Amino acid sequence: MADGELLIKNGVVYDPINGVNGEKKDICIRDGKVVESVTNPKVIDAEGRVVMPGGVDIHAHIAGAKVNAGRTMRPEDERKGVEAKTKVCRAQSGYSVPNTFATGYRYARMGYTFVMEAAMPPLLARHTHEEMIDIPILDNAAMPLIDNNWMTMEYVKSGDTDLLAAYIAWMIKATKGYGVKVVNPGGTEAWGWGKNCNLNDTVPYFDVTPAEIIKGLAEATEKFEMPHSIHVHGNMLGHPGNFETTMDTYDVVKGIKPYRDRPTMHATHTQFHSYGGTRWGDFESKAGAIADYVNKNNHVSIDLGSVILGDTTTMTADGPMEYSLYQITGRKWTNHDVELETGSGITPFLYSAKVSVHTIQWAIGQELALLIKDPWKLCLTTDHPNAGPFIGYPIIISHLMSKKRRDESAESMHKAIFDRAELPSIDREYDLNEIAIITRGMAAKTLGLHEHGKGHLGVGADADVAIYDMTPEERDAGNIQKAFLNTKYTIKSGEIVVKDGEVVAAPPGRTIFVTPECDDKLMDEMLVTLKDKFDKYYSVTFNNYPVQDAYLPNPYEIKAPWRSS
Amino acid sequence: MQTITLKLKDAVMSEIAAVPVEVDALTPDKLFGKSEAELKAVKVWWGNKQEATGDLFDVSMEGDAGSADEVKIVFEGDLRRVKRIGEGMKAGEIEARGDVDMHCGAMMEGGKVVVKGNADCWGGREMRGGELIIEGDAEDNFCAMYRGEEKGMTGGKVTVDGNAGECVGQYMAGGEILIKGNVDRLAGLSMSGGKITIEGDAELFGADMTGGEVVVKGKVLEMMPSFRFVETATVDGVEYKKYLGDFAMGEKKAKGTLYVR
Repeated sequence: MADGELLIKNGVVYDPINGVNGEKKDICIRDGKVVESVTNPKVIDAEGRVVMPGGVDIHAHIAGAKVNAGRTMRPEDERKGVEAKTKVCRAQSGYSVPNTFATGYRYARMGYTFVMEAAMPPLLARHTHEEMIDIPILDNAAMPLIDNNWMTMEYVKSGDTDLLAAYIAWMIKATKGYGVKVVNPGGTEAWGWGKNCNLNDTVPYFDVTPAEIIKGLAEATEKFEMPHSIHVHGNMLGHPGNFETTMDTYDVVKGIKPYRDRPTMHATHTQFHSYGGTRWGDFESKAGAIADYVNKNNHVSIDLGSVILGDTTTMTADGPMEYSLYQITGRKWTNHDVELETGSGITPFLYSAKVSVHTIQWAIGQELALLIKDPWKLCLTTDHPNAGPFIGYPIIISHLMSKKRRDESAESMHKAIFDRAELPSIDREYDLNEIAIITRGMAAKTLGLHEHGKGHLGVGADADVAIYDMTPEERDAGNIQKAFLNTKYTIKSGEIVVKDGEVVAAPPGRTIFVTPECDDKLMDEMLVTLKDKFDKYYSVTFNNYPVQDAYLPNPYEIKAPWRSS
Repeated sequence: MQTITLKLKDAVMSEIAAVPVEVDALTPDKLFGKSEAELKAVKVWWGNKQEATGDLFDVSMEGDAGSADEVKIVFEGDLRRVKRIGEGMKAGEIEARGDVDMHCGAMMEGGKVVVKGNADCWGGREMRGGELIIEGDAEDNFCAMYRGEEKGMTGGKVTVDGNAGECVGQYMAGGEILIKGNVDRLAGLSMSGGKITIEGDAELFGADMTGGEVVVKGKVLEMMPSFRFVETATVDGVEYKKYLGDFAMGEKKAKGTLYVR
């Protein structure tokens, strides 16, 4: 946090959480926070440029065992984007799986100041936190995977939601996590048996269905005043015809009463779940059906998982999906099992504009953004690095803002885009306010972080500000893309970290974690079962399992009390 | 014709641990048109620091060049820790008088590099064009891919007068390699195109091959078991046994050819 005062003058401010839509407005900053007024500030003259709150990424894979395995298995990716150290920056490498330093600098240069690591295997939480310590500038948090977990499935089977709640409370506290992440519920466990699961299949041995797991975890999560709902990567990701499964998954949590006014499920990287057809040959977009569902219902929020063309590294706890992908490409592949908890797979992938399926996938991500009427229902992501690296966000922004740009791109792509996708027929263009919603406002709100200073510029908010080198009148897609790739200024906690696209300071970020609070008696009852699991099956002991405080040198705690009603 | 002589100063390699110098910035196409003062100011990596060429090398220039093709660079002195000689060069000629360190001629697109000595690992890595001549021996991964890449050498012509190490032409997809001596194991590993000729002995060459050609004129110390004999063929008046493979890659992909005596 920077001491002293800062005044940003003459900026055109987009702060959708506070209803500020392109107003010429000064922003006053003192001691890392936005304040009413300042007396003797250092002045930045924004000269009519676009000013937004620091960007908030709701879903990216930036730290941990899986990301690092991706780096290790792809030296050919690390050689892309090599930059020597400078007086401020440490050495950088990588494109789709950049090193920790590059991750921090590149996000900051795009005006982002918070990123959620989307999948933390609980047993390997220390590794995730170690890497988050090494990611400069960005505030961060991580969501532990709790869905393919034996304890979870046993409590879902017995129907004891309170004990399940106690277990997720213990797990989130033990891993210094943020909320409940679900990835191919039941399917990743089934993969240990060489199988996969659809929503209503029975998970081998545990005799529960993925639908029951999702419902159980949603109910357990809502026992607390959790800032974020369950965060769901559903079943059948990436399979032709999966859009029905996707909508059935949304239906599972319909009717569960959320803690306060927010959805009960965040459905992530929805592009991968909006597929029609029966096989790759008749693969088509069903973004329209998904958008229709989201338009009509309020219990689900989504993020896009939009495709960036080119080479990337896919990585997910969805082990069977990665194996299917590897069967298609024949490129290298690795696979991992995390004891009683989860698993993962990694394989490189090339999204090519010459391939019909990839072209349709590319269209679907943008169709979702354009067909869902209310931008307060979605966040911009690429599921970095699965649909493409985060460094491609400005490409997506420029496409959403320019029909002309989309038409030009479609022209050079596989012609399947014209008959098996809707994108070419959509005229809607995003304005800057809507871009601010899907890249900061909505992401912060969905995570509940707007109450902790993220995603807006109201008095009391964190002084995280992005000043883009463009005026609100800019219509040229190329200039828009350029402006969103490298800010004029990025300010993090009141400190100028990027100036004219160059990183000028790299302070450490904070790690935000949630502490769900649960009745001692309930916790003790749960611990009897859990300690038995540790004694019988885990490779580590119960006492050695929780992440120590030393792994969070800059912690920020959000308490989540048990709900009274 | 212009000749630029760059003699590595003795002091550069005088420390106990000789810190390598990387000279990919010193190629004919990059130095063409530069005055002596400009050339001396070109930055090269010495360990983790960038230094001026003039501080590490004694520089002398003779003659004039009308294009990069007419520029010849001569490296002299103790070159055993000088890396990336001719890396990425597009035109002209480089002569290295002595043994050189890794990555010599890597990613070359044109021109000619002659090493009057041995070359350490990764010589000719991912070469796309031009000519590379090693008058001594070449070490491992000669003309191979960068770690993790799916393509190694794709073009150009390479000659080694001595022996070569393991994995010559790994993931090779085009171009020609001639090794006049022996090679260590796994020449042509995962090769998909181009031609490797080995005049000496070789062992377990052609593994995972899906295209291209390997000719071994010396002794076969051990043959890959996953190749099938096709016929006896005469090449340049000499009789060879022709094999196809590698069938470990599947029937459809086994399009590589081996010629052995």
